[in-house]
Amino acid sequence: MIRSWNALEPHLGFLLEGFALTVAACVLAVAGAVVLGALIASLRTARSRAARAVAAVYCDLFRNVPFIVQLFFFFYGLPELGIYIGAFETGVLAMSIAGGAFVADVIRAGILSIEQGVIEAARVFGLGRWQIFSRIVMPNALRVSVRPMGSVLINLVLTSSILSTITVNELTGTAKIVAATTFMPFEVYAVLLVLYAALTYALSLAVAGVHRRLNRGMPEAVA
Amino acid sequence: MIEINNVEKRFGSAEVLKRINLKVEPGEVVTILGSSGSGKSTLIRCINGLETLSGGAIRVDGNDVSTAAGLAAARRRSATVFQLFNLYPHMTVLQNVTLAPIHVLGQPRAEAETRARALLDLVGLTAQADAYPQRLSGGQRQRVGICRALAMQPRYLLLDEVTSALDPEMTGEVLDILARLAAEGTTMVFVTHEIEFARRISDRIVFLEAGELIVDMPAEAFFSEEGGLAVPRIRKFLSKMTKD
Repeated sequence: MIRSWNALEPHLGFLLEGFALTVAACVLAVAGAVVLGALIASLRTARSRAARAVAAVYCDLFRNVPFIVQLFFFFYGLPELGIYIGAFETGVLAMSIAGGAFVADVIRAGILSIEQGVIEAARVFGLGRWQIFSRIVMPNALRVSVRPMGSVLINLVLTSSILSTITVNELTGTAKIVAATTFMPFEVYAVLLVLYAALTYALSLAVAGVHRRLNRGMPEAVA
Repeated sequence: MIEINNVEKRFGSAEVLKRINLKVEPGEVVTILGSSGSGKSTLIRCINGLETLSGGAIRVDGNDVSTAAGLAAARRRSATVFQLFNLYPHMTVLQNVTLAPIHVLGQPRAEAETRARALLDLVGLTAQADAYPQRLSGGQRQRVGICRALAMQPRYLLLDEVTSALDPEMTGEVLDILARLAAEGTTMVFVTHEIEFARRISDRIVFLEAGELIVDMPAEAFFSEEGGLAVPRIRKFLSKMTKD
């Protein structure tokens, strides 16, 4: 057993490179999913019927197709359309789009939970639409939706392992290579387990921190 | 001056306001009485543009609230205090009061905060400036609501059943402040069920019944035998309200 861990040592650097790529993809995709999700959620609750329809179709489409299918669609489809971006960029894009659909749903629930009177007060006091959205609607929607959004984002991080199927040598991709060259799949995937768990744990700590910050002043039971 | 001309409001087939005419001059306190569902709150919501009119026109200092520019100007001249407070739950008391002065009136933050603290002192909430609304009692929240309105330095204060959600003691806290504002000459349109208080501070009393404005007279006359009490509907209303 100990000998086999030692045998893995020369490959640790390579695995960590993969881990770094996973972290990079996840950071970008989480940011992309949150921004896109907020945008789609605001469209889903907009006055314009067309905006609501577009957002609803977006959510249904990207939540109801397996991620790997979406990923292949972008990876092989974009070049057909004359759009040439790297595999990493394609992966981040696909993750942002798919994650955005789930995030939108969670934020939408948060928006719908806001008391109408609070928004009416902001209107009466003369705040503009954008000011109301950014200063009243989003902060209140997020305080409710940040925890369920955490689950969505953790899932997104785990989904990043699928990027290995489009030649991105992130953590899972490097692990496959190392496992194949060392014939030590158990040890390699044990390392993976620890690294993914560390990454998602860090994310859940960050989500809890944001939740606490947004819910300052709320009764403990809610916070 | 707030001018309400032939205002109608329908929700589907329900006529909530029927050809309402009313003028509120600067410095006046006009109280709107009427039973629940008579259209009092809807009238306030038409003045501050939360409802669109089905007919007629409302002008605040000449600004037509049915146009976007007119409504924006009207909203800078008036401020509303709500029945259920409607404070911004994610902001401290001070932030609640300074939000619109900073972002709508463009006051520098420091100036807005100084003014806000002065207003909070006035209503006895000096110590609560950095608290969140959830930590406050109903009476305290409504006093914040009043400060938030006053911070806009409005010419007209629109008060929509501001004590209906409060117990008698908290009602007292809030009414004391309103009495002071009335005495200082603040123009108010006051929707309430506090008859005795209305009698004390109002210049005029308006009575709504099923969406119609049936009486508009000076407060003294409204409560006199030959004035308001001569109208059977008002006599009945007042006897019911004062019995409770």
